[in-house]
Amino acid sequence: MRTLVLGVGNPILSDDGVGIHAARLLKEMRLPGVDVEELAASGLELLDLVLGYDKVIIIDAIQTKGGTPGETRVLAEKDFERAVHGSSPHGINIATALALGRRIVPERMPKEVIFFAVEAEDLVDVNERLTARVEAALPEIVRKVEDEIKRT
Amino acid sequence: MAGPIINDTPVKTHEHKITIDPITRLEGHGKIEIFLNDAGNVENAYLQIPELRGFERFCIGRHVMELPVLTNRLCGVCPAAHHLASTKTLDAVFSAEPTPTAKKLRELFYMGQYTHSHIAHFYALAAPDFVLGPSAPASKRNVLGVVDAVGVPIGAEVIKHRSYGQKVQEIVGGRATHPVFGLPGGVSKQISEEERVQMETMAKSCVEFGKFTVKLFKDIVLANKDYMGIVLNTDAFYMESYYMGMVDKNNKTNFYDGDIRVVDQTGKQIERFRPSEYLDVIAEHVEPWTYMKMPYLKKVGWKGFVTGPQSGIYRVGPLGRINVCTGYTTPLAQKEYEIFRKTMSDLGVKGPAHHTLAYHWARVIELQYATEHMLELASDKSITSPDIRGKFNEPKEGVGIVEAPRGTLIHHYAADKNGLTTKINMIVATTNNYAAINTSVRQAAKALIKDGMVSPGLLNKVEMAFRCYDPCNSCGTHSLNCGPALEVVVKDKNGSVLSTQRNF
Repeated sequence: MRTLVLGVGNPILSDDGVGIHAARLLKEMRLPGVDVEELAASGLELLDLVLGYDKVIIIDAIQTKGGTPGETRVLAEKDFERAVHGSSPHGINIATALALGRRIVPERMPKEVIFFAVEAEDLVDVNERLTARVEAALPEIVRKVEDEIKRT
Repeated sequence: MAGPIINDTPVKTHEHKITIDPITRLEGHGKIEIFLNDAGNVENAYLQIPELRGFERFCIGRHVMELPVLTNRLCGVCPAAHHLASTKTLDAVFSAEPTPTAKKLRELFYMGQYTHSHIAHFYALAAPDFVLGPSAPASKRNVLGVVDAVGVPIGAEVIKHRSYGQKVQEIVGGRATHPVFGLPGGVSKQISEEERVQMETMAKSCVEFGKFTVKLFKDIVLANKDYMGIVLNTDAFYMESYYMGMVDKNNKTNFYDGDIRVVDQTGKQIERFRPSEYLDVIAEHVEPWTYMKMPYLKKVGWKGFVTGPQSGIYRVGPLGRINVCTGYTTPLAQKEYEIFRKTMSDLGVKGPAHHTLAYHWARVIELQYATEHMLELASDKSITSPDIRGKFNEPKEGVGIVEAPRGTLIHHYAADKNGLTTKINMIVATTNNYAAINTSVRQAAKALIKDGMVSPGLLNKVEMAFRCYDPCNSCGTHSLNCGPALEVVVKDKNGSVLSTQRNF
């Protein structure tokens, strides 16, 4: 059983980096059988990273209408079925990349991909730090990811 | 497989404004707005970049040595280009000459970047229009639809070779996406013989895949007379502009180092400059409706979104580079360059190719060059030498330029005696192209939307005028957020929204 924890985001764009910040904390814990990676891109780069793992946990920022900063939702691949992009000017999104992997190299794709989507407050300002409420939620996010790793 | 769907049936709109907009959020995206007059013809069209740019401010006061790692966070797509432009700027800032090994390693790394970037653009972003057709339903017109049409084995080759490009970047650059190896006067990591052999093997396979891609492009686009009809539609996709790109001393394309050459509409050289001279050649125009600046040739001047010799608008990227060069230093790419020139010449083209959609052809030829050059460098046993770091001096001011996959990329920093950044300016590929992209979008909209007749297919053809540049609005505004999608809004002359078209 090989598990990958993947923090996605831009570490110098305020809360967009929450996945990276969480991943760094999880990496320090040196959990057995768990690899931890950071990714400041999406799409095809993400596909390269997840191949060969049994289970992948992606931690990323999300912004929803009326959401509370720091709040975490747990999502599955099927939640993105309706979010698959058409041809876009500049890249493909995570859901499309995973769907592409399932089509082309199904045998190397993880059985399970779980998303920890953390509600962000600021995705605009250039800053290496998280906003206060997202920062405060970090230990809880890490604990939930740890529980998810132990579940298997 | 069924043939591509090239045309659909337009319906009459009574609206006066069309918007192509990606997402409801206010950053990370571009938005095309098309205004119609009472007769339903296009009065005007704009590509707006409604984003903030705060990146340069953020860098002031940081140590200049941090910039190769900070500026590469501008973008999740071409961080390698920013890293290398930044590293070359540090060479200039510290008056440091990289060792021959360091130069080769930087270039090898960069061929990895070009390989994966051009593969991703062609197969994931351009191919949906060509394989499925510009008027295929939006839900099918994506990379998954391409795989359905061309088959899973080809899809697997695409993923494999894109990944090889990324792997070469990782081996040399220390990280797959956001590299950390560039230092003034060299690089931080020596390559082992084992790594060299691994890269050589991958590069060999990439050269073959480059051949396959060039052939595929010719088979699906050049051999299809309906597509050629679109490509050669001079009302919609043709623009007589200036061109800019980097060349070596023999005027062959070089992505990593050389002079910047500018040619006019007839192909005559009008500028040839070193990085430190860029401010003598380029000036920037500002419009109130967008955050992105519009560079133009200083000596020609800004005349608005018009083409021809009186307008200082120039184009960069694959079409810019193929128009300023006399070919490539590698045999397969050179052969393809000659075919490109001959085909253009048979079409009556003298001098540069002004056909906007020829960007795609130039891009696949560049893929061939990048793979061949990657193989040349990976086969060179001297790249494992430990001589990877040259001498450097006190910090001052400096400029570094590389050709990013999307075009000429300029970084310019100044540092105080402690190495703290006092000034930073960047002109990125998409910014260089911004005025041209606007002009292309306006031209395509005017030519394709007549009498208020619109359809998703027609609006997608307007988008094709935008997409072929492979624009990166994130880089262009330094906003750090790569918006993947686009929305088109059609408005009347009073600004009321008439119809909206999205690609997501």
